[in-house]
Amino acid sequence: MMPFGESLLGQIRAVYLGRGTDKEILRRKVASGGAVTAMLTYALEKGLIDGIVTSKRTKGLEGEAVVARTKEELLETAGNRWSIVPFAARIKAKIEEEDLKKVAVVCLPCQAQFFGQMRDFPILEADFGNRIRYIVSLFCMGTFAFEAFLNYLRVKYGVRAEEIVDIKLTRDFLEIHRESGVLTIPLREAFSYLQTGCLVCSDYTGVWSDISAGFVESEPGWTVIITRNQRGEELVRGAENDGYLELRDGSHVLGEVLKGAREKLARAQRNMAQLL
Amino acid sequence: MEKLKVLHVDIGGCEGCNVSIIRAYPKLMESVELDISYLRNGGYKYDEYDVALVTGGVCMNEPRVIEELKEVREKAKVVVAFGSCSALGGILRFCRGGQAPRPDHRNFQPINSVIEVDYSIPGCPPTPQMLQSFFKYFTAGNETRLRLFKVTAQVKKLSGFDLIDDIVLTGLCIGCGACELSCPTGAIKLIDKRPTLAQERCIRCGTCYIRCPRASQIICLGGVKS
Repeated sequence: MMPFGESLLGQIRAVYLGRGTDKEILRRKVASGGAVTAMLTYALEKGLIDGIVTSKRTKGLEGEAVVARTKEELLETAGNRWSIVPFAARIKAKIEEEDLKKVAVVCLPCQAQFFGQMRDFPILEADFGNRIRYIVSLFCMGTFAFEAFLNYLRVKYGVRAEEIVDIKLTRDFLEIHRESGVLTIPLREAFSYLQTGCLVCSDYTGVWSDISAGFVESEPGWTVIITRNQRGEELVRGAENDGYLELRDGSHVLGEVLKGAREKLARAQRNMAQLL
Repeated sequence: MEKLKVLHVDIGGCEGCNVSIIRAYPKLMESVELDISYLRNGGYKYDEYDVALVTGGVCMNEPRVIEELKEVREKAKVVVAFGSCSALGGILRFCRGGQAPRPDHRNFQPINSVIEVDYSIPGCPPTPQMLQSFFKYFTAGNETRLRLFKVTAQVKKLSGFDLIDDIVLTGLCIGCGACELSCPTGAIKLIDKRPTLAQERCIRCGTCYIRCPRASQIICLGGVKS
């Protein structure tokens, strides 16, 4: 185990490459191996949690916080959002409305930081950190300032927000899927429309989470899973033992993840010098 | 393992933080020996302490309190400002006279205006679990988890106003809603995905600021406010 705080990636217990075994999950997976969906399905079906709070795209790039209590509901939330969902504000209402006692949250590094702090250091009596069982953070390079991004799509390419069905990321391009076809935009161009706050963020993997998940280019079809503590490790191992998840060692891709983390930190430092 | 010798000193406030410490104590007893002001019959139990918890803001018109604080600093290896008044001035900042119950003094400051502080834990009041977590990570030597409180010890004020100035008006807000959720008085509301502040409700506890993922990340990276 790496010493805490000495790595850009935070505390690391183990690194795996994972892939869901369920055909349905694999068919509907979006970014990688569907391992997060598989793990959480396992946690739901075994009663380790009674709900998952995550976000779901409503229209265009907009999303909303939703609670998934079954595999089917969870599958509907899979996929990229590309905009931040005002998660925190609604999560409490969701947890209370649905009377959830043990939830998993799937979120971005900034949100993982907030939930992690809330769980470790509950400042308010009203904090619900004790109900958060698992924090799963997805690797993140930033979210779009989507009003600006949509405006740019409209002005430059004549694409309206309502038309967008999906957005996918390839090596150097962003694919905007519409019913009428696919529009390909160079990533460099699209990156100018990231939220300013994301440009000063230094956390790529979500160091406050129990499990970080994402993908690397060298292992398409597999999810990189970083477990950070006993809790995360047990979930991953449990899902493997019960046949929900196929695992192999992922230590060889750590360098690639580290590269992403370095890039994000370098960008943050550069922008901080300019912005702050 | 030997118990940590912990001194508690209250220098004035609403007592919320003290109640929080007392509520935290049952789960701390195994690792902490608490010398708390309510059970002390004059003087201190020991000459040296591992940790001193200070609650309440320091009244700058009160030399006796300032002396007491300095004495605490000498006795303790680590000083923790517990609660927003002690850490950041908090609601005591509003004691400028005139309001009921009409305080005689008008100048309350966070204790780091007088002595060096090692950790500041904001909250109005912070929960008992907060203190339990603090000791858990402190005894484990987990500085990464405690970094936010370490850097907050260098800060003299944090409030909804600072959050708006530093994060929202600079365009750094990502619209996650953490501030709205953590405000104990409901002063912050997300309107059109960005926080707005009902100024008269802000008690300057700093909770929103240290809960903001962006703000806390920036101050942890060295962008310390003074």
